[in-house]
Amino acid sequence: MKTAPMLSSAFLQPAGQALPTTLLALRFDRASSLADLLLPTRRTENWKYSAKHLKLTDEMASSLPSDASVEAADISGYTVVLVNGVVRPEVSNYPSIEGLSIQRFSELDVDDAALAADLIGKSISDQPAKSGSVNLSQLNGARFEDGLLIQLKPNTVLDQPLFVIHHTTASHSGSAYPRILVAVGRNSQLTVVEDYVSSGDCSVMVNTTTEFNLDDGANVTSIRLNTEGQAVQHMGTTGVRQQRSSRFESHSVGFGGTLRRHDLHVRLEGEGAECKLNGVVVTQGTQHYDNHTTIEHVAANCNSEETYRNIAADKSHAIFNGRIHIHQDAQKSNANMSNKNLLLTNGAEIDTKPELEIYADDVKCAHGATIGRLDDESIFYLVSRGLSRRDAKVLLTMAFINELVDQIPVEQVRESANIGLNQFFDQAFQEV
Amino acid sequence: MATTDQEVRELIKREYEHGFVTEIESDTFEPGLSEDVIRRLSNLKQEPEFMLEWRLKAYRRWLEMEEPEWAHVDYPKVKYNDISYYSAPKRPEDMPQSLDEVDPELLRTYEKLGIPLHERAKLAGVAVDAVFDSVSVATTFKEPLEKAGVIFCPISEALQKYPELVKKYLGSVVPVADNYFAALNSAVFSDGSFVYIPKGVRCPLELSTYFRINAANTGQFERTLIIADEGSYVSYLEGCTAPMRDENQLHAAVVELVLLDDAQIKYSTVQNWYPGDETGKGGIYNFVTKRAACNGKNSKVSWTQVETGSAITWKYPSCILRGDNSVGEFYSVALTHNYQQADTGTKMIHLGKNTRSTVISKGISAGRSSNAYRGLVKFNPGAEGARNFTQCDSLLIGDRCGAHTFPYIESKNKSAIVEHEATTSKVSEEQMFLCRQRGIEPEQAVSMIVNGFCKEVFKELPMEFAVEAGKLLEVSLEGSVG
Repeated sequence: MKTAPMLSSAFLQPAGQALPTTLLALRFDRASSLADLLLPTRRTENWKYSAKHLKLTDEMASSLPSDASVEAADISGYTVVLVNGVVRPEVSNYPSIEGLSIQRFSELDVDDAALAADLIGKSISDQPAKSGSVNLSQLNGARFEDGLLIQLKPNTVLDQPLFVIHHTTASHSGSAYPRILVAVGRNSQLTVVEDYVSSGDCSVMVNTTTEFNLDDGANVTSIRLNTEGQAVQHMGTTGVRQQRSSRFESHSVGFGGTLRRHDLHVRLEGEGAECKLNGVVVTQGTQHYDNHTTIEHVAANCNSEETYRNIAADKSHAIFNGRIHIHQDAQKSNANMSNKNLLLTNGAEIDTKPELEIYADDVKCAHGATIGRLDDESIFYLVSRGLSRRDAKVLLTMAFINELVDQIPVEQVRESANIGLNQFFDQAFQEV
Repeated sequence: MATTDQEVRELIKREYEHGFVTEIESDTFEPGLSEDVIRRLSNLKQEPEFMLEWRLKAYRRWLEMEEPEWAHVDYPKVKYNDISYYSAPKRPEDMPQSLDEVDPELLRTYEKLGIPLHERAKLAGVAVDAVFDSVSVATTFKEPLEKAGVIFCPISEALQKYPELVKKYLGSVVPVADNYFAALNSAVFSDGSFVYIPKGVRCPLELSTYFRINAANTGQFERTLIIADEGSYVSYLEGCTAPMRDENQLHAAVVELVLLDDAQIKYSTVQNWYPGDETGKGGIYNFVTKRAACNGKNSKVSWTQVETGSAITWKYPSCILRGDNSVGEFYSVALTHNYQQADTGTKMIHLGKNTRSTVISKGISAGRSSNAYRGLVKFNPGAEGARNFTQCDSLLIGDRCGAHTFPYIESKNKSAIVEHEATTSKVSEEQMFLCRQRGIEPEQAVSMIVNGFCKEVFKELPMEFAVEAGKLLEVSLEGSVG
């Protein structure tokens, strides 16, 4: 039996020592737990479809420069800019609101550093996967050079969305490890937009982890937009812990690349918590996008709703893996998952795996998944009313994802998503 | 509903009805597995040379393989060297030619199981090739089958009489090294059924084989090969029970179905092996590889299974839809209670144009059991216009059991359409209330609701089996709801 390659030790050398000692110690600890681990292969269940695109060469292990110059983001509102995983206050625009604190890891005092250390890895598994292969969030824990700790005191409402721009400069090979920790107090409200962009076209890896901790009654909307360049290997992890009656909403719009992967893990730990996860993915050319979501119903009386739509064109590959896990004491759980996919060409591939794992009896769970193409009769209907075949197809494809894009509560994001989607349609439906 | 809870507990405790051991002296190999054992086995069965080579090849591959661990089941490792790989009823030199020659003890065993051998076979219109442990003992209804040109015999006999046919198709659907358990089976399979339906023949009878594991500590390794030639049809029934015993027994069977143009096979299984007692002790390990290759155009294969037994079930009857317009169907009811664990489902591999498949899976878990559906629906680039519909529903009875769904859906063809849905729920209080309001006892109400839940699958079973399936569910299920 062939053994999987090991994670190169080059990845275990973190750069940047400007961190509080607690975090340095934590990073060291994570790095030592990574030694001797294997890289995921086709046989690693979680990486079945994506392992072949994972390229962790030694030159990818080097850190990208944290002082690369970038233009200030063209966003009116609160912004925090991270360049290659390091916070850049000079191009950011922090909100100054009573009860809100945004700190970079390198500035944390002893207490806050201890809080950050406590939150890291709390909402997601930081341990090696069962198969003995590397867990990518674990790699982030071993390598982060800086990060953001966002704290919202109880009963605080952020009036505008907070944009967190992750900028990766791909002027040479290397990797970046942004880390965001969000702690939202009782009955507080926050909208975070994470925008992933890149410049340059060398092959780089962005390994990012964001963790949300929602106290009782907190309400968080997380929006994730991914428009990085083709050569970026994006490996994102989002972990969410929800306490009693809290609400979490996630909207993600992803455009493919050489490898895009997002793991979203929500734990409903307090009674009456609810979450809603929406996702849209479009891929073309030889792009690849892999979404893995897990919703854990730990406490009773929680609701979850998940809707993901994928569109794959040309020779691209889109993957969805959604798991609903109902714990033994999570009675009266309600969980719904829907995943619909559109295959536009014969060279493309879509793989989906909606899983249910249920250990409580008084639950209502359902999932549905479909893969298909545009309906010939609908196209005919539109063509018979004077639309060109191309326009008819664009319209129908747009309709397929529009109901999700429309739900994104921040107009600016909706607009940039639509710009990206229109570009996608232009290329995917060239007049024949 | 306190009283119901009480009743439930009583009912769940019901012991396995078919638990008895027939005392017949057996010709049994010493436990252990080696090339020597395989040579002895092959020699004993007077197999042609190619068969021995085939077995040895499988054995060598098996040695290099690792036991799969991905299934959602948990069991102590099987010690393959503690198993005896051959056990036959005594007096092999005097194999019974008719029922009169059959050991009356055996016949009584079958009677207890309600197998319609003898007269009952005729009445039921079923030809039974009963396998008692490893050697086929009695075969009935040979005549009408022979008249139709149908070959239905133990595979060991087929190896001697029709070696060419066996050589051509054995391992063509499930290759020797397909998976760990299939490789083990290929190396040591003891016996099983061989069916060949000639061109254009509609098999006049429903063929039926009852497998029964008997002598203690013998793993049973059945091998079934069914070949449906062009335009033929056969319905094959398989049912299983096993005596009660504390040690786990391994059962690793392989079933291969080959379908040529326009052929049709309906394969039905009722599996009721010993599931272990209420503390989870004992029970059969059922690691089965079942696969059908629809090689011909317009062929159709249909798997129907009712699984209520075994401590561990690891079974994925699959269809390879190679021929254009071929159809694959999978209907399953899997019931687990106490500490039973089942990981079962199907694979539908669409290769040909306009291939269609339907998957209906109903899982019922009670007690502390775990019941998982694991399925794969795959459309290859050539599967133009292919279609799949999958529905897997789970019913939970009790708050300590688990129900899981792991469906893999892969599509590489834009014209292919796949739909998958799954639901999980319990018997609702509204449903129970409605029934009780109308004077129906809770136990009966649950039975009704569960029967309704499974109806889609039961209606696919042949008459004879539908009756047995209903009974089985009643025993394992009735009233297991609070």
